[in-house]
Amino acid sequence: MNEGEDWVYSEKVKDHFLHPRNFLMGDEKKFECDATGIVGNPICGDQMKMFIRVRDDKIVDIAWKTYGCASAIASTSALSELAKGKTLDEALEISAKDIDNYLGNLPKHKFHCSILGHDALKEAINNYRAARKS
Amino acid sequence: MTYLDYAATYPMPEEVREAMSEAEEKFFANASALHTPGHLALNEIEECREILADLVGANPDEIIFTSGASESNNTVIRTFEGHKIETSPLEHHSILETAKMYRGEKMPKLYSYMLANNETGEFLELPKVDHENSFLHSDLTQALGKIKIDVKELGLDYATFSAHKIGGPIGVGALYIRNGAPFRPLIVGGNQEKKRRGGTYNTVGIIGFKAALLKMRNDESFLRYDHDVRKLRDELARRILAEIPGSSLNTEIAPGKSLPNILNASFEAAEGESIQLYLDAEGVAVSTGSACAAGDIKPSHVLMAKTNDAEVAHSSIRFSFGLENTMEDVQRVMEILPGIVKRLQDISTIKMKGTK
Repeated sequence: MNEGEDWVYSEKVKDHFLHPRNFLMGDEKKFECDATGIVGNPICGDQMKMFIRVRDDKIVDIAWKTYGCASAIASTSALSELAKGKTLDEALEISAKDIDNYLGNLPKHKFHCSILGHDALKEAINNYRAARKS
Repeated sequence: MTYLDYAATYPMPEEVREAMSEAEEKFFANASALHTPGHLALNEIEECREILADLVGANPDEIIFTSGASESNNTVIRTFEGHKIETSPLEHHSILETAKMYRGEKMPKLYSYMLANNETGEFLELPKVDHENSFLHSDLTQALGKIKIDVKELGLDYATFSAHKIGGPIGVGALYIRNGAPFRPLIVGGNQEKKRRGGTYNTVGIIGFKAALLKMRNDESFLRYDHDVRKLRDELARRILAEIPGSSLNTEIAPGKSLPNILNASFEAAEGESIQLYLDAEGVAVSTGSACAAGDIKPSHVLMAKTNDAEVAHSSIRFSFGLENTMEDVQRVMEILPGIVKRLQDISTIKMKGTK
């Protein structure tokens, strides 16, 4: 393995890319969830989908799927770690900057295109709340 | 490491490194100087000019040295500043952006069509020109060394060459200018290159270029590309299609359709930069047409022009071979690539066609 000082990404990004957390392999039905949210578009090169399981207003489990580059995979993985165990209100507060800080800063040109997961998470939370109201 | 990115840069062979380090000692003088050390340096430069001219069917006085293919391309386009300029959509950015900036309405018109594309390896059909109302430039950066080239047979007025794509140093290129074709220097202010390109001669770089050209000639490189390298490329293509679900080729590999050393393939639902970096983590170097890799927001203009499908472009990988590659390199790629693609497809938001 290339132990990567020469990677364009930080060690933390590389770690989340090579060893992503909480990803959902294969059939989506394998993960029992209460709501999902999706953001991005394959045409733009990045798309993320978040799956959340909620108990007592808390995200007790989370999973994701991503089509995208290394920083898209790493940032979605990082987001899943940040969001797990948080209340829905706390999770709604997670910003792109928080993900970027957690990863030790992505290359600048990657920031806007690849940190999208928090929007998918917001959508999932909103979908969850909308479903509960109706 | 398994290096399959020769179309980006050809790692310098030992002969070239040795020639350059010897040149640092022996040919240190300014090649424009009248003293003996200056002459010795100039002789080396002229030898390189003759070798390149001989290899591509030009006269030595039709070749000038530049800082690389981008300068050569810029020089030709700027010669036609304010004139009609038509390019293929597959050209390098040093053609496309320069043409966009400087084209006008005047005649004669310049056509700029590369002979073989750098991303797919595919050949382009060159337009016919009359050398009076229309002139033809071709970027031969990828073609040099891989196939036999004759600038006269191709009907060219201008041709671009680069040293580092054949094992020479980065920062050295050449431009063929047919005797009698219009020309305006890009870098002015010096008698070098018969006033066609100012600036002190890059003696050591040009000597490196010469060593790479000699190696190319002595190795009969285009025969080896045609016989040996083509086998590797075609075997990789065959195995990718056979062993990786959702794979497709962006290079037509039939003889006569593409350079024998480049294979571009796309992998449905798996993004190119991620494939590239997972391969890199396993010691395999390739490149991708995905937007992300180049720090761009759009994917490869070449694959977009060819396929008009952004997902195909984002999911593309270019494998480019050199004379040093062996079947073991193909084997190594196929040991890891199917697993990498499968994993990316498994976590992808895009569902593979034909699956639930």
